[in-house]
Amino acid sequence: MSAFKRKRGGQGAVGKKAKKAKVVADRDGAPSETEQGTKNEVTVPAPVSSGKWTNKERVLIFSSRGINFRTRHLMQDLRTMMPHSKADTKMDRKDKLFVVNEVCEIKNCNKCLFFEAKKKQDLYMWIANSPHGPSAKFLVQNIHTLAELKMTGNCLKGSRPLLSFDPKFDKEPQFALLKELFIQTFSTPHYHPKSQPFVDHVYTFTIADNRIWFRNYQIIEEDASLVEIGPRFVLNLIKVFQGSFGGPTLYENPDFKSPNMVKPSSCLLKLYAWYFCK
Amino acid sequence: MVVDSGTMEPAEEQQQEQEEEEEEEEEMLGLDSEEENSEMSDDELQEAFASGLLKPGMNVLVDQPKKHVNNVEGMKQCLADFRKDLPWVERLVLTNPPAEDVLSQAEGKVPKPANGDVNADDDFQREMFFYRQAQATVLEALPLLSKHGIATKRPEDYFAEMAKSDQHMQKIRKKLISKQMILEKSEKAKKLREQRKFGKKVQVEVIQKRQKEKKAMMTAVKRYQKGMTDKLEFLEGDKKQPGKDSAQGSKKAAAKKGPNAKRKFKDQKFGFGGKKSGKKWNTKESFNDVSSFRAKVANAKGGKKGKGGKQNKRPGKSVRKKMKGRS
Repeated sequence: MSAFKRKRGGQGAVGKKAKKAKVVADRDGAPSETEQGTKNEVTVPAPVSSGKWTNKERVLIFSSRGINFRTRHLMQDLRTMMPHSKADTKMDRKDKLFVVNEVCEIKNCNKCLFFEAKKKQDLYMWIANSPHGPSAKFLVQNIHTLAELKMTGNCLKGSRPLLSFDPKFDKEPQFALLKELFIQTFSTPHYHPKSQPFVDHVYTFTIADNRIWFRNYQIIEEDASLVEIGPRFVLNLIKVFQGSFGGPTLYENPDFKSPNMVKPSSCLLKLYAWYFCK
Repeated sequence: MVVDSGTMEPAEEQQQEQEEEEEEEEEMLGLDSEEENSEMSDDELQEAFASGLLKPGMNVLVDQPKKHVNNVEGMKQCLADFRKDLPWVERLVLTNPPAEDVLSQAEGKVPKPANGDVNADDDFQREMFFYRQAQATVLEALPLLSKHGIATKRPEDYFAEMAKSDQHMQKIRKKLISKQMILEKSEKAKKLREQRKFGKKVQVEVIQKRQKEKKAMMTAVKRYQKGMTDKLEFLEGDKKQPGKDSAQGSKKAAAKKGPNAKRKFKDQKFGFGGKKSGKKWNTKESFNDVSSFRAKVANAKGGKKGKGGKQNKRPGKSVRKKMKGRS
């Protein structure tokens, strides 16, 4: 398996020697034969070239301690799907949330997806525009990862997604704000060095039952036949803040019930157990 | 209620204070004897009562309904600050309702919810809703993409790393195949079971037919033995199929009529809706009713009398004497 460096000059670079394409091959390790340029050697019509990548978005995806395997896989899946993401080590829960902003700055990221696990059961997700912008906290439910065998679709690693939003996102101000946040976070910048030039999957964000449902589909045919790739999850909005991981609250979801209130407490469960075992 | 200074808007603060006051007053009346908690003196209470803030009677401590922040202006401002105006190519965003559900409308099944809201609990409907939304996006986006020169189909020889490894895709394929096999097997098993049931039915029918035939044969044999018939046609079995049928047919017809008249009369006399006591005998209808008129019987002028007379008649005394004298 020979690795060649992909030439970033593209068609515009005249006078430079055309180099062979860099390709991360699949298991049989066949080198790629790509579209022929006008030269004898194999060149890739480079989708990326210096100066073309202007939309510098970088997303930091990491988590706190105490997450379970499903969350970890979800994070990994998101990192796979988003080539403009960066990873970081787990944050200690003793640190305050403002520390996250500093971590973002160190990594030179301007967006952040932070997963926080509480009581080994509930998963909260923060999505933030660092350092000034708004942020939002969600409760994540119904997680299904890429590795599930029912998700039969597949897509190129790092290909750019189409984003599809429900018209309900435009109706209320908090959803409009979230929509902008999602767009800036999830859409892969054009000409990103790690991105692929094809668009072969689509993310859908829909509002149902006052929650945001996320799905990822692969585009198989031009007639819009789709297959689900995964991952999939449901976001239940808790609060929207004006600052990044803090600041004044802009919106609080009145329908949100904390999972602690919904679940019976441990002593109540013990009481039930004792009663039924009698 | 936790009042967090960081989360308070200045406009709301005054309102909060007033509500706090009211809450405290109500609390006061509930805990009458506890002087430590009272932050309002008796004079203030009197003033409040006079001004109409407090009503007489039992004041119950009520929980303050929680105030949820909804700072529309702030959000709009934030959005305006934060949004980026980038060309469509950068973001590839589309907002659209789901595509028309052709299939289910053709079948006339699903009543579409009026406001387009999807029922989150009905899994199939919900997933189809998301699917159609994605479809609508793709249909709209493809011409736009081709306009910008971005391809959606990759060429056959373009090998690149995929989000899921080949090993994983193999696993998925195997699972799908195994599912199909299981389905086929169960289908086969069902069919076999059905066949067996059907086979059993057929078997039972055949046995019953055979028993019937045997019974018919035995009765025919018995009749011959008893001398009721002198024909040995039953031995021939199936030969006289159509003839047998006609004989059977006529027998059936005769059987139908025979006891029916007697039965009919008895039913009429004793059965429900039959003769009732106290009814008139010679009514107009009964007089005009000529159904029991037998022309043969009426017009036969002593036809069979000779034979009958012969059987019953005993000669008179004088004739017997003459006979006696002579013998």
